[in-house]
Amino acid sequence: MAKGMFVDTTICTGCKACQVACKQWNGLSAEPAHFGKRPGVPYPVADNFTGDSYDNTGTLSATDWRHVRFIEQIDESRREKRWLFSSDSCKHCSDAGCLNACPTKAIVRTDLGNVVVQQETCIGCKFCIPSCPYGVISFSEETGTAHKCTLCNDRIHNGLGTACAKACPTGSIRFGELADLKKRADARLAQLKGKGEKARIYGYEEADGLKVFYLFADRPKVYGQPEDPVVPQRRLVLCSLVTILTALGVGAAALVNFRERLNGRDEEESHES
Amino acid sequence: MSPEIIQPPEWAWYYIAVYFFVAGTSAGAYFIGAMEELFGSGREREVSRAACYIAFPLLILVPIPLIADLGRPERFWHLFIYNQGGYPYLNLVSPMSVGSWVLLIFSVCSLLSFLDNLVADRVISFPLFSRYYNRIPRRLYAVLGSLAGFFIAGYTGVLLNVTASPFWAATSPFMGALFIVSGASTGAAAISLYLIWRRRNSGGEVERLEAFDRVVMVSELVLIALLLVLAGRTALPLMTPPFVAMFWLGTVALGIAAPLWFKYRSRRHPFGDAPVLAHYLCILAGGLLLRISLLQAGQL
Ligand code: SF4
Ligand code: SF4
Repeated sequence: MAKGMFVDTTICTGCKACQVACKQWNGLSAEPAHFGKRPGVPYPVADNFTGDSYDNTGTLSATDWRHVRFIEQIDESRREKRWLFSSDSCKHCSDAGCLNACPTKAIVRTDLGNVVVQQETCIGCKFCIPSCPYGVISFSEETGTAHKCTLCNDRIHNGLGTACAKACPTGSIRFGELADLKKRADARLAQLKGKGEKARIYGYEEADGLKVFYLFADRPKVYGQPEDPVVPQRRLVLCSLVTILTALGVGAAALVNFRERLNGRDEEESHES
Repeated sequence: MSPEIIQPPEWAWYYIAVYFFVAGTSAGAYFIGAMEELFGSGREREVSRAACYIAFPLLILVPIPLIADLGRPERFWHLFIYNQGGYPYLNLVSPMSVGSWVLLIFSVCSLLSFLDNLVADRVISFPLFSRYYNRIPRRLYAVLGSLAGFFIAGYTGVLLNVTASPFWAATSPFMGALFIVSGASTGAAAISLYLIWRRRNSGGEVERLEAFDRVVMVSELVLIALLLVLAGRTALPLMTPPFVAMFWLGTVALGIAAPLWFKYRSRRHPFGDAPVLAHYLCILAGGLLLRISLLQAGQL
């Protein structure tokens, strides 16, 4: 019964309807500006905005749960060029780094497979933030808690699709049963490959499968996604083992130094007496 | 990996790195004291006593920075009780969750040791319990406490290693090891400073502590080298001005290498009191700067 989304970036037009729909449905305010000084500029500048016409927010954040990335590719001779768009959000990983890290059970998975932050439980420890391999989940100074896309938890539990998928005019974002979406993705991939285009699915293997997965026309890096994302908790066993071994080593050093010398001293003393 | 997309948690160094340092020193002091108690002859108890007098008072400070750094400090108890179910919650794959619980165990053990020493030194007394005094399972909580102490000193490093932040991820799996070793060394320095303060810094026990500390500090240098090799390009921030001062000058040169040289040197040519005192302070400062550097280098 797992639900998810398939984002076919090859038919995205960069209209940002999804970004607007997300803000509206989830009642998200504008990202608060963080002003700072920039050399040579006499007035304070909002550092967290790009100031670019197409993409002012630049990244996902606590109030931007969707972000459309604009990628201009121009070859060296400036003859060939293409413009790629990709609408990004939380991937609702099957093995979610953020969920694994949370010490309070604020982050949970619902029966539909989506990962949500329970605002009334989150303590704002911020551990989930570096634990997401995709840099998605973000901290809000305003609420003192972590925020991210919920896969429209309220809508999907009432039989509706996500707001972004609903708003998308080209069908680039599709919401549905994971199995159906995969069929659609495979068909589209075969079609593109048949035309000789370079295309790939991103999200079948990563983190045991991303519930929100993508069709890319270039390497994931180009779209700002990690090439080999690792669920960070998979290092836990090795790290713990090495740390335990070190503790044993320190214990052994203590044993040698605290006991042997003592024995040596005992002997010396018995010699003297 | 495309590192640029991983978000830093923006943990404030003056809370979190200071917590790493204080908890590491407290835990280091405690396990040194407990092992002296367990392995030593029991004739000299200055080191283990000093350890108990250091571990608990330092530990009381610990919740302050930890809670202050939360976005919602008033909800800190959610770390122990799931607020929507009302039952205790432990997440075994989250070092932060396990660490919170072990911190609780460690506090109890170090409180018991602290009280025990106060009673032994006749600072306080519990007339009602005096009959049971000899039946207190001291060895039991010394063992439990030193296990918890090792955990507290090391888990903060593991916690950093199991994130996606490029520097912290690349230094896996040795950050926990480095933090344990550093905790042992700052713990030993804290004990020595306490003994100087109480004018009890002489005798075989202190010599043994010094010998232990030399081994520990050499391994600390080895681990730092290993960490940097593993980190590769992700360690580049450590080459920028503030980190050169903090990490290379503060931690490596003045905090470890110089005190280590001093320790070997003073075996043959004893120095005066002031340099001895200063070199312990250097070790402590080095330990703090180590935590600040490694925390901040992962949060740029
Ligand atoms: S993409 Fe990040 S925030 Fe979303 S479920 Fe995966 S780990 Fe969590
Ligand atoms: S910030 Fe909130 S959601 Fe994130 S790990 Fe901490 S308690 Fe969990």
